[in-house]
Amino acid sequence: MAEEDEELDLYNEMTFGIEQDCTEEDTSKPPMPPEMSPELAKAVAEETEAGEDLGPEAAEELEEPQEEGAMEMEQLGSELEEELGTEDQEEDQEPCEEPNDLGDPAVMRAVQSKPTLESQDSAVLDSRIGACWADFGKEDVDKAIVQVLERPPPSTSVALDFLGSPVQRGYRGSPRLKRPDIRLVPPKSFPQRFLRQQSPLVPRSPCSPRPFAPPRRPPLLFTSNQTTGYASPTRFQPMPPNISRPPRPLAMHFGPMSPSLDPALFFSPSASGQLNLSVPSHLTQLHPQHQRILTQRQQQSISSKKLWSPKVDPYAGLMTSKEKDWVIKVEMIQLQSENTDDDYYYQTYYHRLEHKQAEEELLGGRNKQEPPKLVTPFIQKVETYNSVVRIAGSLGQVAVSTCYSPRRAIDAVHHALVEEATGSHRLRALHKIEKLFLQLLEVEEMQRKMSLAAEEQEQKSQDAERIYQALKIRACSSEEEAEDEFLQLLCVQKGKKLTARLLPHLSPEQAEKILLTITHHLPFLMKKDVLDESLPLLYSPLNKVVGRMTFSKLIEVLQEMSRPLPESPELPVTMALKNQFGISLLYSLLSHGERLLSSDMPLEPRSGDFEMWTDTVFLVARELSQVPKASLVEPLFLPSNLLSLFCRYLDKQTVVHLEAKMECSPLPSEAAMLC
Amino acid sequence: MNYMPGTASLIQDIDKKHLVLLRDGRTLIGYLRSIDQFANLVLHQTVERIHVGKKYGDIPRGIFVVRGENVVLLGEIDLEKESDTPLQQVSIEEILEEQRVEQQAKQESEKLKVQALKERGLCVPRADTLDEY
Repeated sequence: MAEEDEELDLYNEMTFGIEQDCTEEDTSKPPMPPEMSPELAKAVAEETEAGEDLGPEAAEELEEPQEEGAMEMEQLGSELEEELGTEDQEEDQEPCEEPNDLGDPAVMRAVQSKPTLESQDSAVLDSRIGACWADFGKEDVDKAIVQVLERPPPSTSVALDFLGSPVQRGYRGSPRLKRPDIRLVPPKSFPQRFLRQQSPLVPRSPCSPRPFAPPRRPPLLFTSNQTTGYASPTRFQPMPPNISRPPRPLAMHFGPMSPSLDPALFFSPSASGQLNLSVPSHLTQLHPQHQRILTQRQQQSISSKKLWSPKVDPYAGLMTSKEKDWVIKVEMIQLQSENTDDDYYYQTYYHRLEHKQAEEELLGGRNKQEPPKLVTPFIQKVETYNSVVRIAGSLGQVAVSTCYSPRRAIDAVHHALVEEATGSHRLRALHKIEKLFLQLLEVEEMQRKMSLAAEEQEQKSQDAERIYQALKIRACSSEEEAEDEFLQLLCVQKGKKLTARLLPHLSPEQAEKILLTITHHLPFLMKKDVLDESLPLLYSPLNKVVGRMTFSKLIEVLQEMSRPLPESPELPVTMALKNQFGISLLYSLLSHGERLLSSDMPLEPRSGDFEMWTDTVFLVARELSQVPKASLVEPLFLPSNLLSLFCRYLDKQTVVHLEAKMECSPLPSEAAMLC
Repeated sequence: MNYMPGTASLIQDIDKKHLVLLRDGRTLIGYLRSIDQFANLVLHQTVERIHVGKKYGDIPRGIFVVRGENVVLLGEIDLEKESDTPLQQVSIEEILEEQRVEQQAKQESEKLKVQALKERGLCVPRADTLDEY
C-alpha cells in the first residue's frame, strides 16, 4: 500500500509539478502555436498514408484555430500526446522549445505524434496494428494505449501464426527476411497477434474473427462523425460512413463467428506478452492503478497461454458438422457390401480384435465382450440407371441426361462377337481365359458359402460343368497342338491357374481326363513353360487327382509317359526327369501305384496292367540311372515309398545307385533286407 | 473410428496440425481443415518443409488443396513434441542452397555412374522414361 501511495505521489507530482511551469509560460507564449502548427502539420502530414494533399490542407486548417488561442492547441497537444516510438519523434521534438509543455496541467508531456485511433474513436481500446515489431527495437513500450504506426513494418503478416515460425513473418517474400529485427515475436503470443488483426475491426464489430488474407496495414480509419474538437477529420482519409465496408487490402468476413471464440479476448488490452512494464517510457505514463490492472491481465494471459491456443482456433469449424456427416455417409456407402468375406482388412481387423478380447478374457476373467461390429446404415444404393432409354414404338434412342451422366452419348451395344473377330490365336486364348476365370470365381464363391442347399450344390456343379465344357478338352488327340484350344490355354500362366483352381470342383472323370491330356502333351507343355515356370501350379491339384485314381487309370496315364515321341528320340519320361513338374508328377504317379500295390485293396486290374506297371518301373529306373545327376531336377515333393518300389523289382546295387541319385533318405532296415 | 469400428477416416483429424507427404516428394505441414470422400485435403497455414541432412527450412505457402491421389501419407503432429527435434531450422535461402548443392552432387554421381556403365557396355534406362512410381 505504501508502495502504491508512493507511486501515486510521484504521479501527481509529475503531473502537477509541471503545471507550475506551464501556467507561467502559457501567457508568454502565444506565438508558440503558430510555430508549432507547421511542424505539427508536417508531422501529421507525414504520417498519413496519402499525405501529400493533406499537407497544405493541414497547415491551413491548423492556422485557423490560432486566433482562438492556445486552448485548442493544448487540446491538440493532448490528443497528440499519445506515444509513437518511431523515427518521427525525433523530428517532431526538434522545433519545440518546450517539448513537454502544452499548457495543460493534465499533460505530463506532450509528444507530437499523429492522432491515434483511440483518440478518434472512443470505442477503440486497442488499435495496436502490428505494433509489436517496433517494440522489439525499443524498450519503451506502452501497455494499453496503443500507437498507430504510420508505416507498418513490411512484414505485416498478421496471419495467425500457429506454426510459431519466425520465418513465417516473411510471408510476403524473401526480402522481408533480411530484416531480422522486425521479426516477430514471442512464438505463441496469440492474443496479441490476434488483436493486431482485430484492431481495424473493433470500431466496426466486435465479432469478426476471420481475416483470411493476411492484411496489409489498413489505412487509418476515421469515420466522418468522429469529432475530436479538432478541426478536421477531413485531413485524414475519412472512411465513408458505411461501416461494413472493409478496408481494401483486408478481406474481412463478417460472417458467423466461430463458437469457440471468446469475444472478451478481443477487448483485452494486454496485447503484447513481451511488454516491459517496469521501464519508464517517455511515452505517456499510465496511472499506476491502471498499470496494475493491466499487469494482472497480462500475467493472466501469459499463464493461460498454453491453454489458450488449442482452445481458440478462429479457423476451426470450417468444415461444418453437416459436411462431416455427409462425408461419413459417403464413406458408409462405400463400405457397404453384402459380402464381407472378400474384405481383407475387415476380416483381419476382426480376427485380431477377437483374439485380443479372447486373451483379455483369459487373463482378466472378464465377461465375454462382444466386439463391436461395423454397422453400415442401410443406405439405398443408387439404382443403376438404364443408360439407353428405349421408348416403345420410337425410332432410335432417347438421350437421357441425369446428374450422374450429364452428357450421355448413344450407347454402343456391345455384341459378343469380338473374340471371333480377333485373328490371333493367342488373343483368343487370353480372352477365353478371362471369361472362364470369372465363371470360376463364381463357382468358388458358391463353394465358399459353406451351407449349401441341395439346389445350390447342383447349381455349383452345373456351373463347373459349363466351364469344363467350354474348355473343350480333347484328351489324347493327335491333332496339332497349336489347334488344341485347351492346350493353348494351358500355355498361359493364368490358364494354368484356372485349371488348377477348377480341378477340385470337377467330377473325378473330368479331372482324370484333364490329367490324361496334360500327361499326353507333357513334352509340349514343358517346352512352353520354360520361361514361365508355372507348371508347378498344377502339381498340387493333380497330385490329389492321382491319389484318387484307380490302378487301371494309373496305368493308362503312365502309358502316356512311356510312349515314344515321333519327333524326339527321348521318351517323355526322360524329358520329365529334367523338368521339375514332370519329375514331381512322375514320382507322384509311381508313389500312388506303389501305395495301391502294397495296400491290400482289390485292384481290379485289366489284363496287361501289371506288365505295363513293371515295364514302367524298369523304364524309369533305367532312365534315372542313365540321366546325369546334373540334369536331374529336384522334385517338388519326394515320396518316401519310391525306394521300396524299386527294391521290389530291382537289385540292391541299382537301388543304392538310384538312392544316391535321387537323394532319398536311406531305407529303413527292413526294406533294405527285402532287396 | 469409434462409430465405425474397423475403418479409418480423416474426420477425427480435422482442425489438427498434420504433416503430409506428397507423391512428388514434398512435405507439407498445415492444419487440416476439410476433406472429402477421396481424401482430398484442404490445408491451412501450410508450410513446405525442405529437409537436407540435419537441417530444414520452412517456406510458408498459405492454403493448399491437395488431390487425394497425390498423398503418400499424412499424420497428426503433436504440438507439444513438435519442437523436440534434433533437426536444425535454417532460413529459406540457406535450405534452398543446400538443396541445390545436394541435387547437384546427386546429378554428378549419377552422371559418373552412367558413364561407368556405358563404358562397360551396360545401358540403364533414364528415369524419365520409366514409370516414376
